[in-house]
Order: sequence, then structure tokens, then C-alpha cells
Amino acid sequence: MNDDNLIIYEEEIEKIDSILARMLKGAEAKCALLVDKDGHLITRQGFTHSLDTTALAALLAGSFASTKEIARLVGESEFSVLFHQGKKDHIHMSLVGDRSIMAVIFDDRTTIGMVRLYAKETSIELGKIFSSLKSRAHVGAGLTDEFTKSANNKLDDIFQD
Amino acid sequence: MVSINYASREVTCKIVFYGPGLSGKTTNLIYVHNKVPSTTRGKMISLATEADRTLYFDFLPINIGTINGFTAKFQLYTVPGQVYYNATRKLVLRGVDGIVFVADSQAEKMDENIESLTNMKENLAEYGYDINDIPVVIQYNKRDLPGVLTVPELEAKLNPLGWMSFEAEAVTGKGVFDTLKMIIKLVLEKAKSTRSSVTTTAAKQPEPAAVTGATSFETSGKSGDYERTPAAAPAPEPTMVSRQTAYNVPDDVNGDVDEENHNGNGVEFNTLKEERVLSHSALDQDVSRPSDAVDAAAHDDGTSPASESPTGRRPYPGSTTSKILRRDRRITVSDFQPVTKEGEPAGSGRITGAESHHETGAGASLPSPYMAPPKRIVKKKQGFFKRLFGIK
Repeated sequence: MNDDNLIIYEEEIEKIDSILARMLKGAEAKCALLVDKDGHLITRQGFTHSLDTTALAALLAGSFASTKEIARLVGESEFSVLFHQGKKDHIHMSLVGDRSIMAVIFDDRTTIGMVRLYAKETSIELGKIFSSLKSRAHVGAGLTDEFTKSANNKLDDIFQD
Repeated sequence: MVSINYASREVTCKIVFYGPGLSGKTTNLIYVHNKVPSTTRGKMISLATEADRTLYFDFLPINIGTINGFTAKFQLYTVPGQVYYNATRKLVLRGVDGIVFVADSQAEKMDENIESLTNMKENLAEYGYDINDIPVVIQYNKRDLPGVLTVPELEAKLNPLGWMSFEAEAVTGKGVFDTLKMIIKLVLEKAKSTRSSVTTTAAKQPEPAAVTGATSFETSGKSGDYERTPAAAPAPEPTMVSRQTAYNVPDDVNGDVDEENHNGNGVEFNTLKEERVLSHSALDQDVSRPSDAVDAAAHDDGTSPASESPTGRRPYPGSTTSKILRRDRRITVSDFQPVTKEGEPAGSGRITGAESHHETGAGASLPSPYMAPPKRIVKKKQGFFKRLFGIK
């Protein structure tokens, strides 16, 4: 469980983005968010202007985590799909790979069936990308000395009583 | 785990405030939220009960700005302190990068502190994390109350591993920032040390992003003006604005950015835009496409993206699409090119025409014309009349 830092490269994100965009087009959904199970936003597509995606990502991950715990209590290992229905907008969440969640927000222009269909295909596709990412991440990249140093300098400016 | 996103150029760390119930974890976060400039922090989210006790977690995103071309973000979480909520408390610890243990300094709360600390170790162990691997800072809170234990007493009982510790009064804010600064430092230090080979390998990464990140440091390094780092990547920095406000950027800003980058009129997809711009050289051969693809993404089948967007389906409420499209809808010579080509039967002439149009569109950053492909219209008409009169 205690795996490496999550490192995502641009080319993967481009691939992921195009897959998500294709799904949105097909399912006629509003937007899609790809969130790490830890609550970090990986990428987003569609009309996310009016959304606070940082908070959304954290809450989606939280909601998924609590559902997982519920699943465990009833003897399931994990619920792979989660659906929240609202008056106008609905959210469909599905598991991608073993550590990400794809949330699709849609409204009445489309149907839950369409979204499910496309989301299922997409999560399989994305799962492949993530597994390739996993094997690649070991190349090693991360924070440099300079980064930590200048971050530390900045902290004093920002956090003062 | 520290998350590093090369595409959106973000480094995100998760810091959890742990501790027994009523020890002041949420108060810590509230103080940070109130004191930090609004450009630095996002919205604080508190999942609490009616009585204001944390039910699941409190969440406060903090963005300390762009360093080395990367936006450094910290997500501060608190856990519910009450023993009863262990299930949800454990969930918050997932993927934690650093922990602040907020201890209550009052003598009668000592047992609760110890219980919570043990519980924290258990929960971490369940995730497979080793307590010795994770940066921890202890905060002895409520120092202002009468009858508190002395720091050496607390240290002896709570801090056998010799973590950094601070005295604090979360209500007045004393010691809150010291704790936070220290844990951030430790987390960054840890992220660095787990990757000792970083400096060399990061530059070796195939994508240009990493390289610019590494090289632009000298210029952008410590300067206080981190909102606009001139040398660091040509990308627009969404950084100092909190997420929420960043999305409400006025249309013109987006439009201008686009024009600067010769990227056509794709505006509504904020992420796409940032990332396209970054990788813009890689996409040169394909410059007119991103905007179209962007337009098309939520609309239709890609073959006739432009024809539908202005008049066809309405953009979603709240999106700025309609306004931008109207503004960018300048009729230029290139608008009419496809039409004239359509009339010509000669195949070869048509291809060259299309190519030249493509080039002008890309080079001069003209908005791509909103034209349906000619074939489709012709077909429709024929079919319509045939069907109307029953001709076979």
C-alpha cells in the first residue's frame, strides 16, 4: 500500500484527457474529473468553470473511501460504481485502475445508461494507461533541492501572524 | 504520497491534523484559514455534525505559489477526534504525507492523548505506513489554560520518538504557523530524500516540462514576484489564484491568453488550454485542431464541430462559450474558402485549397471557420426531396 509518490507525465495526461473528452462527447455529459484515491485531482475535462474542483476532488475521494468501508462491512471488497442522483445534476463515479476514481457529472440531456456504458469503457482504457504509468514511475523524478529550499523561503512570507 | 503532476505542473502534499477530540485540530485550520491571504488558500470545507464536531474531515487547500515552475499545494485535513469515529478517521489518513499531532496539554486529557497516539499508529500500520517514515510534528495545544502539564512532562509521555514539538494556543493562533511551517518543511524534505536521484533524472525525462522546470529556477527562484515568473515556461500561471477564483477568470483574460499562444478560439476548457500551451511545440503540426477538438468535445461528433456550436446546442449555463464564440465570430476571407472549394469538382485543387487554408488558419491564428463539411449538406438535400416525392 505504501507505494511511491504519484507522478504523472504530460503525455499520459494528454492521452487521458483525450479519452475523457471522447467519453464526454459520447455520453453527452457535462464534465469529468479524474481523482486520486488520496483526494488529489489528476485531471479534469468539460465544463468545470463553476466548480471548485480541488474541494470536489477531496470530497469525492472521501465519499468513495467511506463507501469502500461500507462495502467491507457488508462483505464486499469494494463498490466499483457509485451514483448520486440530484434534481438536475447527477454524478457517476467509477473506479479506474486500483487507485483512481473517475467522476462524471451529467444532467438530463443524457441518461444514466449512456453514462454508465461510456464510463465503463473509459475506465478500462484508463486502467491500462495507469498500469503502464505505474511501471514507468520508477524511473525516478521528484522534488529538487532548489524546490524545497525556495519553498521554505516562501513559507515565512506567507505564514506570518 | 506526494503527487507530482507534470501536466498541470503541480506538487500536492497531504497533511493531516490528528489528535484526541476537542484538542483543537479544527481550530488550527480555522486560524490558518482566517490569517492566510485569500489568494493563498482555497475554501475550507468542514464535514461536521450539528454540534460542530468534526464528523468526517475538515479540508483546507493551501497554495503557496509557483516554485521552480511548479505550483506547490498543500491539503490540510483534520480527523474526527472522538473515539467513536475511528472508521472515518482512518480513511483520512490514506495517502498522508505529514502528520501534526495536536495534543491537549491539560493533565486530565493525558490518557486521551496517549490513546489517540496509539490509535494513530495502529491506523497507519493498517495502511502499511511506518510511523518512522512519516514526518510528524507534535503540537502541545491549550497552553493558555490553567493546570496544564509542563512541556518536559508531555514530551516524556507523548514523544518517545523525538519528533519536533511546539507549544500552541490555537484559539489565539500562537504557535499555529510555526507548527505548519515545520511540517511543510519536513514533508518537502522527505519528498526530496525519498528520491535522492532526483536532480539528474528529472531533467532526463522526455517531456520538456521537467526540463524547463529545472532550468528556470535560477531566474524565478526566490523572487517574491512568483505570480509571473517570466522565465518559467510560457504557460499562464493559474497559481496564486485559488482554484475557485481561477475558474471565474473573465472571458477576456482567457481570450487574450489564447491569442498570445496562437491557439485559436478554444476557451471553455480550462485544463486543456493550460496543458496545450505547455506542450504547444509538440502540437505544432496540429495547431488548429485543439481548439476544434475542444469545441467539439462536449458537443458533437467531431466531423462538423464548428457548424453546430454557435447556433446548435446551447452551452451549459454558467459557461462562457456563447459569448466568446460570438465575439470571435469575425467573418474573414478564410471563412468563405471552403464554400468556393466545395463548388469545384476538381479533386486536386480541392486538396491544396484545404491545405493552404489550414496553414493560414494556424499561422495567423485566425479563428477556424464555422463551416459544415460540404458533403453532408448536399446529401441531406437530395435525400429530402427524394423522400418527399417518393422518387427511388
